[in-house]
Amino acid sequence: MSKARTYTYFPGCMIPYRLPHFELTMREVLKKLGVELETSPDHSCCPEPTTFTGVDFEAWVTIAARNVAVSESTGNDTVAMCSGCFHTLAVANHMVHEDQELRERINKRLKKSGLEVTGDHSVKNLLHVLHNDIGIEAIQKQVTNPLKQLKIAPHYGCHLVRPLEATNMDHAENPQWMDAIIRATGAEVAEFENKMACCGAPIMPADEQKSLTVTSKHLKHIKASGADAIVVLCPTCYTQMETQQGKVEAIAETEFNLPVLSLGELLALSMGLSEIVTENQRRYHRVKLTELLEKAGVGGA
Amino acid sequence: MVTKDTMSSLEVRNWLLDQPEGETLLRCYQCGRCTSACPVADIEPSFNPRLFLQKILLSDELIAEEQLVWNCLTCEQCEVRCPEHVKIPHILILAKVRGLMKGNVPAAALDRARNILSIGRSLEVSSPMLKTREKMGLPDLGTPPMDQIVAMLVDIGIVGKIEKAESIYGGTENE
Repeated sequence: MSKARTYTYFPGCMIPYRLPHFELTMREVLKKLGVELETSPDHSCCPEPTTFTGVDFEAWVTIAARNVAVSESTGNDTVAMCSGCFHTLAVANHMVHEDQELRERINKRLKKSGLEVTGDHSVKNLLHVLHNDIGIEAIQKQVTNPLKQLKIAPHYGCHLVRPLEATNMDHAENPQWMDAIIRATGAEVAEFENKMACCGAPIMPADEQKSLTVTSKHLKHIKASGADAIVVLCPTCYTQMETQQGKVEAIAETEFNLPVLSLGELLALSMGLSEIVTENQRRYHRVKLTELLEKAGVGGA
Repeated sequence: MVTKDTMSSLEVRNWLLDQPEGETLLRCYQCGRCTSACPVADIEPSFNPRLFLQKILLSDELIAEEQLVWNCLTCEQCEVRCPEHVKIPHILILAKVRGLMKGNVPAAALDRARNILSIGRSLEVSSPMLKTREKMGLPDLGTPPMDQIVAMLVDIGIVGKIEKAESIYGGTENE
């Protein structure tokens, strides 16, 4: 490993205050990979991109651009662990960069607090950091417990990937970076129908029945692939596919029993950090991990 | 419902076309690839992105009261498949914004917005959760400077607007 890389970590709301095991496991994994995270108390809610946008878009883009401005002032690249946060910051950053009128309008509002946004800042998600900045080879070097028995379905989720002009991801319909990271842990990547299918969560506030129906179709496709587990980055996708899996099963009239892991948990299992996964599994996982952990050779269930 | 009477006014259309993303609507030739790509249209035939775009093109201002626009997942599958790269999810977002004062906003969306504008987070941070973070050895993240954020939004008038807004939807968020 070369010298430590430092990023400004944008925490948001869901990961730090609902699913802190996402943050814990990813922090430990990143530490192993020589990454340091710094935070700023000036960051606020991103704001989330699925409903606040439709309440007042101008307020959304202004608060988002303010968060980007705070990030710019830190001098480091920003990494958001949550896909919603990443999407919001990346889209606002892109819009401010492309639209001079918008940039001037927002900077007028920011001036009162001594902030300025340019849109030149680099907003990253964990795949940019892990796959592009750290690299697959360096990840592989830290894998001490190859997960050879596991078949893992990568769920990228919409807001991590689209729109490409703002997210700087590799492909809108067949992204590959999470696949490569899963392979680096020694696990097999599950192939399933409609890889970029939406988890269904964004319309929970408007129509729960439809929302869970979208989820059930996706889980059926993943189940049919023979995957042992789904891996996600987004805490909202996690809530929809894991926390709500019982409700989805009721609608689908079938049992899925599909564990969902955060990417940090999967990497932790492969890097000899399984304790931080097993310690928190009962509190944050409704779908039992027992079988999965046995297959991963860590037990502790 | 698509069968509702139309109420034509150029105001909504002009406001939308005045914005860079909204302007992409003029490239739409109603081919319907958006609808064939849409995972909601797949399970709910009355949700039809192509028809939403048509309504806006025809200046039907009832689009703002159309509760179905809130069934958009913002997954952007339509935009990925659109041969003309029309910013369809963004256009539907702008349609939602027009409906706020008419109550066309899910109660949970309004709750989240109120949280964001009062505490700077989309959800309330409980003290047991702060203790859990501490136990996990995770750092204190501080509290966002709300005075600064609210002051910055004065010209948008959002704080007053969401105080007045009332959702015509029932129920609250249940995560």
